[in-house]
Amino acid sequence: MNAFTDWLTSTALSQAIQTTSWAIPGIQSIHIICLAILFISALMVAMRVLGRSWHEQSAGEVSSKFLPVVWTCLGLLLFTGALLIVAEPGRTLFNTVFYLKVTFIVLAVVLTLVVRGASQRGTIGGAHRAMAVVSMLLWACTIVAGRYIAYN
Amino acid sequence: MIQQLCEWLASTWLGMQVSENYFPWVESIHVIGLAGVFGSIAIVDLRLLGLANKHLSITYLSNQVLPWTWRSFFLAALTGILMFIGNATTYYDNTPFRIKMVLLILVGINMAVFQFGTFRNVTAWDTGRPAPGARFAGAMSLLLWTGIIVTGRWIGFV
Repeated sequence: MNAFTDWLTSTALSQAIQTTSWAIPGIQSIHIICLAILFISALMVAMRVLGRSWHEQSAGEVSSKFLPVVWTCLGLLLFTGALLIVAEPGRTLFNTVFYLKVTFIVLAVVLTLVVRGASQRGTIGGAHRAMAVVSMLLWACTIVAGRYIAYN
Repeated sequence: MIQQLCEWLASTWLGMQVSENYFPWVESIHVIGLAGVFGSIAIVDLRLLGLANKHLSITYLSNQVLPWTWRSFFLAALTGILMFIGNATTYYDNTPFRIKMVLLILVGINMAVFQFGTFRNVTAWDTGRPAPGARFAGAMSLLLWTGIIVTGRWIGFV
């Protein structure tokens, strides 16, 4: 792992990000904007699944509206997140909190996919509503873990 | 004067608790709050610009989204104030922090002008193309909130 992070740190891309003063805050700002849009888009789907808002649209319609936004943002978050790892591999790859964050993301995505299936079939039950709540808690934990990488 | 006030704030029990024990948690919740503000207001702004959800009325869309903007803003403001109390002198001397505060004032003015001016005849453009004033407010809001996020992140890098 050490050899890998040393090599990553020595790459031209890593050096370029490290030596450009605005690169890391700039990439982090884009990362924050994407997570903001993902978080609220996921929340809108969850609120419709729970029957709290978007009453003029079906859960399937709200999913079709917001989930493509969630996936697009997730892609941009993985890309900007990867750039941040390339810039400072030691900060992340030896950090337990980072792996906790990855676990939260995987679980949130799985739950979102399960709830999406039920929304599209119109078969939302109590279990799906619970999953929608848990997926939002997982996204919130993802944000907290992401910030905590800096402190662990 | 303000300098002394900042020193006093940071030396209070609350200030010490934040700076010595709880800063990472307060900051993490701040990120959840600002994510809620930006993500929700962006939906309304894009509708005002006529770029998304054109088939939904602005009042209906706002009713689904804006309660979350306010809840999130409350969370972000509360945690932001706590972070300031914990490190008041550092923030007071910090240029990105000062720019961020100016942008927050501007975003408030933009919202007030929209809410108490442009929005009053919303019935005329609720379902169609928003009035020029509404489109301007949407564009300003997106720009200013983006600036608030960028300067907010920048605070930690100077």
